[in-house]
Amino acid sequence: MESANQQSCFDCILRPDRVFCDLPSEALEAFDHIKEVCPSPRGTVLFEEGRPVRGIYVLCDGRAKLSVCSEKGKRLIMRVAGPGEVLGLSACLSGTPYEVTAETLDNARVTFVRRKELLKFLREHREACMQVVHLLSEDLHTAYTRVRAVGMVRTRRPSLATAH
Amino acid sequence: MLSPYGLDIIESCMTCKVRAERLFCEISTPSLQAFEQIKYATAYPKGAVLFVEGQAPRGIFVLCKGRVKLSICSTDGKTLILKIAEPGEVLGLSATVAGKPYELTAETIDPCQVNFVKREDFQRYLREHGDACLRVAEQLSEKYNNACHEVRSLGLSHSAGEKLAKLLLEWTSRNGEAAKQEPRLKLALTHEEIAQMIGTSRETVTRLFADLKRRQIVQSKGSTLLIRNKAALKAMATN
Repeated sequence: MESANQQSCFDCILRPDRVFCDLPSEALEAFDHIKEVCPSPRGTVLFEEGRPVRGIYVLCDGRAKLSVCSEKGKRLIMRVAGPGEVLGLSACLSGTPYEVTAETLDNARVTFVRRKELLKFLREHREACMQVVHLLSEDLHTAYTRVRAVGMVRTRRPSLATAH
Repeated sequence: MLSPYGLDIIESCMTCKVRAERLFCEISTPSLQAFEQIKYATAYPKGAVLFVEGQAPRGIFVLCKGRVKLSICSTDGKTLILKIAEPGEVLGLSATVAGKPYELTAETIDPCQVNFVKREDFQRYLREHGDACLRVAEQLSEKYNNACHEVRSLGLSHSAGEKLAKLLLEWTSRNGEAAKQEPRLKLALTHEEIAQMIGTSRETVTRLFADLKRRQIVQSKGSTLLIRNKAALKAMATN
C-alpha cells in the first residue's frame, strides 16, 4: 500500500535532467518497486562514516553535507551533495563501511534502496549499471581533485625533550 | 626458457591460475572469452611509465603481476603518491570509462605483466557484458574508498611523524606481519617516494627514520625494517 509520500519515479518532473534517474521504463519500473521514500528534515544523519553499509540514499530534493572525521573528532567537510546525487554508492558496491558521514542541510526528500536489492537491480539492468559506473567515475574525479587540493602537510619539528 | 624481465607471462585468462583471487577477473566464461579477444598481454620493466596524469585515455591496464606506483600532482606542484597498486587492480579505469584524461601517473616499481585493452574495445565490451560492468563499478568504488582515505589522512593528520607511523603500520597489516610482536617490513620505496606518499620532504622522512632508530622503535637491516616497539609506533600514529 502506497502512502501519500510514495511518489512514483515516473511522476517526477526532475527526472530527465538527472543522470541516475534517466533510465529506460523497464528499469525505472523495477526501481520504483525496490525504493523506499524517507523524508529527511534538516540535520538528519543519513549514514555515518565507518558504519556497515545498508544501502544507497538518492537525494531527490535538498542537499547533504559529506564529511570525514579524525580519531580525535576533528571534522573535515569533503563536499556538499546536491539534488539528484546518489549517496553511499561506492560503499554499497564494494560492501565496505560508509566512507563519509552524510547529514542533510535542508528538509530533504530522500529515497533509500537496500544494498541487496540494488545489486540485484544492477545485475538485471545493464543501462542502470553503466549509469552507476559513470556516477562513480565522477565521484572519483571529485575525490582526486580534493586530494590535489589538500596536498602537502605542514611539518612540525619534534621537540628534543619529549617527556610524554 | 627466457622470458621478458624475468616474468612468467600469463598468456591466457582462461588458464590463469590466480584468476580466482582477483575480483575483477571473476566473470562469466562468455565475458572472459570476449575479454581475451580484446586484451594485449604486455611486459614492462621496473621504472616504466604506463601513463601520465593529463594524458588522453588510450585504454585500461589490468595489472596481472608486479606493482605500480600511482601518483598525482598537487595544486602547488608537488608529487603525491596515492597508492601502490597490487596485482588485480585495473589502472586508468575511470579515465577510460569516462573518456577523460588520466587522473594519475602510473609507474612500475617491479617488472610487471599488464593486460592492456584499448578504450573503444573496452567501452564496447562493457556495453555488451553486464557482469563485467558490475566489476568495473566495484573497482571504482574501491578506488573512491582509497581516495577518501587519502583525503582524511592528508587533511586531518597533524605531522609527518604521525603519517609515517600510520603508513608503516598499514604496511604491516598488508603483508600479514601485524600480529607479530616485532613485525618486519621490506621497504620497496626510497625515502623520497615515502615522502611523496605522506606529503612531506625527503629530508623530513630521513630525519624521522633516524629518530625512530635512535629511540629503538625500529631497526633496519639492509632494506628490511624491523619494528621493535609496536606500541610506541601506534602511539605516534594517533598522536
